[in-house]
Amino acid sequence: MSKLVGAVAVAGGGIAGIQSAIDLANSGLKVYLIEKGTSIGGKMAQLDKTFPTLDCSMCTLSPKLAEVSRHPNIELLTYSEITGIEGEAGDFTVKVKKKATYVDQDKCTACEICVSKCPAKVPNEYNEDQGVRKAIYLAFPQAVPRVFTIDAQHCLYLTKGKCGNCAKFCENDAINYEDKDEEVEINVGSVILSPGFTPFDASQLEQFRLDHPNVITSLQFERQLSSSGPYEGHVTLADGSHPNRIAWIQCVGSRSPEIGRGNCSSVCCMYATKEAMVAMEHDSELETTIFNIDVRAFGKGFEEFYQKAKNEKGIRFIRSRPSGVEVDPLTNQLSLKYEVEGDGINQEEFDMVVLSIGLTPSESSKQLAEISNVEIDDLGFIQTRIDSPMETSRPGIFVCGAVQAPKDIPDTVADASGAASKASSLLASERGTLITEKEYPPEKAIGDDIRTGVVVCRCGINIGSIVDVPDVVEYVKTLPGVAFAKEEVYACSSDSLEGISDMVREHDLNRVVVASCTPRTHEPLFQETLMEAGLNPYLFELANIREHCSWVHQKEKEKATKKAKDIIRMSTARVNLTQPLYTDKVEFNKDALVLGGGVAGMTAAIDIADKGFHVTLVEKGPELGGLLRTYTTLQDGRRTEDIIEPMIQKVVSHDTITVFTDTELVEQEGAVGNFTGKLKGIDVDEEIVFGVAVIATGANELKPDGYFSYGEYSNIVTQSELEQMMDTGVDAKNVVFIQCAGGRNDDRPYCSRACCTVAMKNAIQLKESDPGRNVYILYRDIRTFGKWEELYTKARELGVVFMRYTEDQEPEVTDRTVSVIDFLLGMNFEIDYDLLVLSAPMVTPETNETLAPLFKVPLDANKFFLEAHIKLRPVEFATDGVFLCGTAQAPKLVDEAVSQASAAASRATTILSKDYLETIGNISVVDPELCIGCGRCTLVCPFNAPELKEIVVETEEIIYTTKKSEINATVCKGCGSCAAECPTGAITPRHFTGPQIMAVIKAYVEGI
Amino acid sequence: MSNIQLCYQCGKCTAICPVRRVVKTSPRSTIYNNTVYRTGSDDIWNCLTCGLCYDGCPQGVDYPEFVKEERDSKEDGDLAHKGVFTLLTDMMTDLEESRTSLDEAGNTDSKIGYYPGCLDFHDMFFNLDVDFRSIADSSMKLLNSIDLDPKLIKMKCCGHDQLWQGDKGTFEKLKDQNTKLIAQSGIEKLVTSCAECYRTLSQDYDLPVEVVHISQLLKDADLGIDSKTTVTYHDSCRLGRHMGEYEAPREALASAGSEVVEMKHNRNDSWCCGVSSMMNCNDRSKALRKARLDEAKDTGAQVLITTCPKCLAHLNCMKDEQESIEQYDYDIKDLTVFLAEQMGGK
Repeated sequence: MSKLVGAVAVAGGGIAGIQSAIDLANSGLKVYLIEKGTSIGGKMAQLDKTFPTLDCSMCTLSPKLAEVSRHPNIELLTYSEITGIEGEAGDFTVKVKKKATYVDQDKCTACEICVSKCPAKVPNEYNEDQGVRKAIYLAFPQAVPRVFTIDAQHCLYLTKGKCGNCAKFCENDAINYEDKDEEVEINVGSVILSPGFTPFDASQLEQFRLDHPNVITSLQFERQLSSSGPYEGHVTLADGSHPNRIAWIQCVGSRSPEIGRGNCSSVCCMYATKEAMVAMEHDSELETTIFNIDVRAFGKGFEEFYQKAKNEKGIRFIRSRPSGVEVDPLTNQLSLKYEVEGDGINQEEFDMVVLSIGLTPSESSKQLAEISNVEIDDLGFIQTRIDSPMETSRPGIFVCGAVQAPKDIPDTVADASGAASKASSLLASERGTLITEKEYPPEKAIGDDIRTGVVVCRCGINIGSIVDVPDVVEYVKTLPGVAFAKEEVYACSSDSLEGISDMVREHDLNRVVVASCTPRTHEPLFQETLMEAGLNPYLFELANIREHCSWVHQKEKEKATKKAKDIIRMSTARVNLTQPLYTDKVEFNKDALVLGGGVAGMTAAIDIADKGFHVTLVEKGPELGGLLRTYTTLQDGRRTEDIIEPMIQKVVSHDTITVFTDTELVEQEGAVGNFTGKLKGIDVDEEIVFGVAVIATGANELKPDGYFSYGEYSNIVTQSELEQMMDTGVDAKNVVFIQCAGGRNDDRPYCSRACCTVAMKNAIQLKESDPGRNVYILYRDIRTFGKWEELYTKARELGVVFMRYTEDQEPEVTDRTVSVIDFLLGMNFEIDYDLLVLSAPMVTPETNETLAPLFKVPLDANKFFLEAHIKLRPVEFATDGVFLCGTAQAPKLVDEAVSQASAAASRATTILSKDYLETIGNISVVDPELCIGCGRCTLVCPFNAPELKEIVVETEEIIYTTKKSEINATVCKGCGSCAAECPTGAITPRHFTGPQIMAVIKAYVEGI
Repeated sequence: MSNIQLCYQCGKCTAICPVRRVVKTSPRSTIYNNTVYRTGSDDIWNCLTCGLCYDGCPQGVDYPEFVKEERDSKEDGDLAHKGVFTLLTDMMTDLEESRTSLDEAGNTDSKIGYYPGCLDFHDMFFNLDVDFRSIADSSMKLLNSIDLDPKLIKMKCCGHDQLWQGDKGTFEKLKDQNTKLIAQSGIEKLVTSCAECYRTLSQDYDLPVEVVHISQLLKDADLGIDSKTTVTYHDSCRLGRHMGEYEAPREALASAGSEVVEMKHNRNDSWCCGVSSMMNCNDRSKALRKARLDEAKDTGAQVLITTCPKCLAHLNCMKDEQESIEQYDYDIKDLTVFLAEQMGGK
């Protein structure tokens, strides 16, 4: 490589691209985030809730959207497409076509007057064509960037030269009908492809009658559930009434080789279950039915979610795939005809039918693959390998998310961080070369006199037409501490921002209140303006008189004006008591500790070390390789040693990786940037210091003693034991597999995710090595998710016999026979076997229970480590600086473990690549005199910031040893939970002090 | 009116003051400064008003009464729980229907009333392993079992804390409102399970009814139990030194078959729980709590019994610490809850 450029282009602004961009930008690389649509957010922005926790999708996503929009190292290119990628790894030239938006982004203040005046009505894509939007529009309320776009295809002016309303009514002269598409070239060192998926177009399957108004897709249903959707969260039929009976049909466009969609879409079973559950929460009388082939609840917490849906919520799961939707020609009534297991055909009527459409590669992603010159597979997904799931066929171009294979949000997020890790390894030497830090003038001394300036924003007509702004300004001038007050048409426009800076200087102000809109989007902007004027950003308060006032009181102008005064009076009372707060820069240790020398641990170690940091890799056992060593082959036909051995070579030969085998971490203290620990092992007794830690301690295959006579007869083995046997040749004519042996029961209620795929792989090998051999697989659900569905198809083609059993009637095993009731046929079978193979679940090592308290990180109900957020933070703990990956988090396949390991490395790098750790200004602090050491703060803090430290209290006569809370400033996020919980009032959040809050309450009371 | 002019500066009060053991404070010099120089002292905010000095004073100087009067209308010192209880009570005086949320009515025709105090607020605000409400349930159960069949009196807060924190205005409002309520209720006898309510309603109110503490009704009652538990009894300052009732709780425990073992400091010599009237919760008051819990530990008792919900909260707060250095493996229970539990299903 001749040249390395410290910038990365990320193609696709869904959750995958967003996560990659944030990771890279936080690691010191410049990022161009390129998105085809007008807003970033992708499909996740359309979802109502997310499974299995039923968290609000937008609520978890929108902070990430805001982070991207504010990040100084991320340049957002929306409404843009990549048209060419030239060059090689380290130095690519990417051509981007920026489409004309016809709106000047610098002038548009998102006041929405244009929208109200636009006469054109266009199907609303965000709501999946349910309802309409205007030709000038914002994709959705939380869209980022928050700038409007004219849809040139539907704009009356641009198509017919008529109308021109938006330009006429725009008060800021932001409309530009002359806008043209623009070609830009960007120079980057690496490209990440994250264009996501497109939902399967169910209209091509006419038998499902998507033409009927009450047959909708699952994504349309999702929008119906959402309060920002077409019916404000009420599921609605074509006639405006609400359904009583809804059916979901699974696998529409998935598991259908006949139409070229042979893969499983991985997420539909869970989203359908979620949709049914949420719909029933909206309407408790609702009856829901999910027609499925197998219920693929294979992820963390999914099986438990499915069981809850089935057993507690009363969602009906029918294992049958209706061939289509029938519509009565006279009554227009929908019905489904399906086979009842072992009991003929049934026909049932439904008010609404939801088609669970699959995830498919979009045409534009196929084009992008072509432009990028990377290989795609038969299904149109971008091709990768099991041991390098983020690497495309073209060096320097990486891939993440559903364009690689159908996957859910956490897997996508892990992939995205993993791809970021790969790009950041490549460009490690260029970190920090293309980014700039903003410089601010020195802060002026604020003195004792309070001189507060207040700007009241009209927000065009948004506030100005409801609230009597001049009256409010005159009132504000009378408030205590207010030295100056004025109004602005748009406080956030760039000239107004300069005006605020000037106002601070001219009137020698030392506090500022802006009364406008929500701090969520605008506070950082105004705080930056204060810093430019030489004021500390914490001397600012935003009074929201739009969302909290003018928008909700449009019909009560006088009351709205009074309320605006109340809100500003309260904000002023608080701002008068604010003090400058400062961040602190702390030197820290930049070494990493990785616990666990399996595939995940080794990958994490290599990825971190490749970026120039020192890694200590600790393995409990005598050799590296982990769980994968107990298996011999991979699903793609390669031997496991083909991927383990090169990995071990890389680890042991790496300059900056130190390996300890036969060693465990026995002590651990401290916090991010300054952990200390003790390693103990054979010939090892060492103190170590490290800045971050990755827990990759893995899982084991359960020895299924007590299940299906395992341990009683020598010809009953587990899958991994079978693989060892297969190396020397299996001498058995009749082989029976039993799935879920010891799993999905009361002891281990989770699904172990990998076993079905492993069983398929082994069944195929047994069949291929001796086609005359009989192989039977007794299963409860086959869960070969994603692309691995092809193994299931192949196994059936080869003549493997599949028989379904239920948890109530498990197969019975004697020394030579298995008797099973085949649920599909309702008959009892006796199978003579030579070899019985049990698919036993992965279980956690006992050491989890000593390791978790050591790092103060939680375990889930099944004793796997519990990540910070099941959707968006899959590889980190709430505790700063501690990460997890691989089967320590949940059972998974090798490629998924590798993806997570790279992700953990990427997340760790966002910390390690900093020059110093920076505390935030508004942390909480403990008054040691008042602290009685009760420890309640340690229970409520989500970040483990408070720690109880032993001290001796000496009073006049009584001397005693106790503990007192100390808040680690580098970890504290200033949420104030501890202060609310503290019984003695010993804790104060520095930006929300008791006097400040009381001042707000008192100011409120003055007005009533 | 306090009688501090009787003080002849012997200093016995300072010598026995429990607060003196953890903070530099002197009742003697506070009195001196006030009577001679007419100057105030921050010491009035340190005082726990536990009454140990009064009990030991050769001249019978009522220092707690002096403190109470001195605090009136002054900016208060450290209020525990950020003063939320004080704020609540203050708000209560402005609202018509703001009284206990306990829904049980009892025997509405009864001439005997039971007043649970602010137990439901304790449950709302304390994140402790203590079910305060069960004190009310237990009290009703016990009173019913000795055939008193009381009705539940739904008054507002008695105002004890406001009075002792110096907020006499709020106290007087509560007193007026509650006195009217009692007069309308038609009862002749008012039973409390709380030592503070008992002190306040009998000493600081002027009620037309007899006020008794529940232990006084239980002391020779036959509850039909033989608990065979070793217990130690912590005299709360309000029931003990303020009201002089030391024996009734002990007798109630003994007649229920418990063996009462005494802590080193007991009856009028008893040590304080460390926090009085929701004031001064800090590392010094914790030292007092620790001393008390250590004494109880030394007795080897299985249960520490008290009659004041504040003592119950504060002692349990220390016992429930997350990473406590000292372990106390006995239970800390209210008298009524202990007895009702011993009764079981009876």
